[in-house]
Amino acid sequence: MACFERASPALKDILLKLYRAEKPMEIDHQLYEFGSVQYHIQSSASDPHHTYLSISTPLLSQGALLPDKLSHATIEMIKGVGSNAVDIVEPAKEGYHLTLRLNFSKIPRDKDSVKVITQISAMQAVIISYQLKEMLQNVNSQVTLHGMHKPIKLVYHPREPFFVIRQPQKIIAVFPMRFKENSDVIIATAFFQELMDVGSSQEWAKAPPCIWSPIPPPELRGETFEDLSTNGGFVSFDIYSRHVEGKRLDKTVWSLLNFYAYVKSHVKCTRGFIQRRMRKRLESLVKVLQKASSEEEEEEEQFGKDQDAGCNYMRKLVSLSKSKILKRRSYGVLSRKIKRIRFRIKIHGFGRFRRRWLRFPKFSSSMGYTKLD
Amino acid sequence: MANTLRLYLTCIRNTLEAAMCLQNFPCQEVERHNKPEVELKTSPELLLNPVLICRNEAEKCLIETSINSLRISLKVKQADELENILTKKFLRFLSMRAEAFQVLRRKPVQGYDISFLITNYHYEDMQKHKLIDFIVQFMEDIEKEISELKMSVNTRGRLVATEFLKQFI
Repeated sequence: MACFERASPALKDILLKLYRAEKPMEIDHQLYEFGSVQYHIQSSASDPHHTYLSISTPLLSQGALLPDKLSHATIEMIKGVGSNAVDIVEPAKEGYHLTLRLNFSKIPRDKDSVKVITQISAMQAVIISYQLKEMLQNVNSQVTLHGMHKPIKLVYHPREPFFVIRQPQKIIAVFPMRFKENSDVIIATAFFQELMDVGSSQEWAKAPPCIWSPIPPPELRGETFEDLSTNGGFVSFDIYSRHVEGKRLDKTVWSLLNFYAYVKSHVKCTRGFIQRRMRKRLESLVKVLQKASSEEEEEEEQFGKDQDAGCNYMRKLVSLSKSKILKRRSYGVLSRKIKRIRFRIKIHGFGRFRRRWLRFPKFSSSMGYTKLD
Repeated sequence: MANTLRLYLTCIRNTLEAAMCLQNFPCQEVERHNKPEVELKTSPELLLNPVLICRNEAEKCLIETSINSLRISLKVKQADELENILTKKFLRFLSMRAEAFQVLRRKPVQGYDISFLITNYHYEDMQKHKLIDFIVQFMEDIEKEISELKMSVNTRGRLVATEFLKQFI
């Protein structure tokens, strides 16, 4: 899977660390990115001038129609990065597509140094896109090899293959869209419809025409059932020669390679946006109810204050009433009588008898009850 | 506000005003227990006839009343798939935070999207007209929020699509 940023942030960090280190460092790192890109960085103190960087990327197509080895132009492009600082080691380390020997002492110590290291970190993007680049470069060529009109399945991530179909004057890129959740499918579908609408407007006439369909396009007829079974439909882009002219080729290739990542990122961000908005709305809804509650309390408090004021006034008025005087007089006698009535009669051994014979069964409710607040 | 919505909400408001006459009433089955009769439905003499108010087939409100509690169940309009998931997401989000609302039921009544349970305790704690205002405003807000969310999702999609196509030019 590709990433929006061409340069790998982790690799860039390590290379910058090595470049800025005053003393030679012993490093042996293996990195995995997006489950399919693998890096191996080796630097030893015994050979302080050289750092070895091996890169393994998934090759888009394993078919015989496209070259498996890096083209001459791609090799030249890799060599062009950092001029003398980068050398290709032949053969590449076992299990990797490319091994580079980096000489940091040849990278000038100025502002451009970060730029050069960023370019080295973006090497995987060069390797990933070279196959598709070569296909799109020949969009207008009249040479039709045997089976060239058949869809070519490009797999740069096992779960996200896409198809490229060469047709006269154009190349069609078809993306079968699959999502894990139903809500993602609906958000993505809304996006695809907007993509079609925007693409069909006059303003974006120069952009590749985009079509979304819930059923597979006729060009994919004959493909396996697994490839054609999707829940998000199929998005097709028609690439014409004007989209691959000069510098546009690189942009077009990178945009197509990133389409899955782009859609998934949009879906994820939209879900986050919905969540944030719901949280905000929850607060405003709760405020209405809290307001009702607090107003009620305030009213009660006010009512209580009024009542207290009235009671105090009345209490003063009846403070010297007859009943109080009588109560004061007879209190001692009365309390003594009440105490006598409530006095417990103790029978020796009754407690044991009660525990043995007068035990009440415990009652348990079949339905749990909690007081509603 | 659309005219039909106003009528619908006015009808609900009037029905709630009439139905919300709650009082403390202990359970007749179990001594010293106090349960919302509208939920248990153990004594038919304590229940009133439920009222169903429909704006259309997709939007309706069920008001069930008993002597000590009132249950309001709402079904919210879901015109398309996007509205459907947005409504489900939003109402589930609210139900998960039911404790913040006090009167919100964690699980809606079958066939409805969201339910409220108002007991005599809520009725005593909060003012009657404020409770009714809350229910009506809640209904208004939900409808407004869903349509705004739908518009925002589409607008975001349009902007993202524009940014994507910009890369080719």
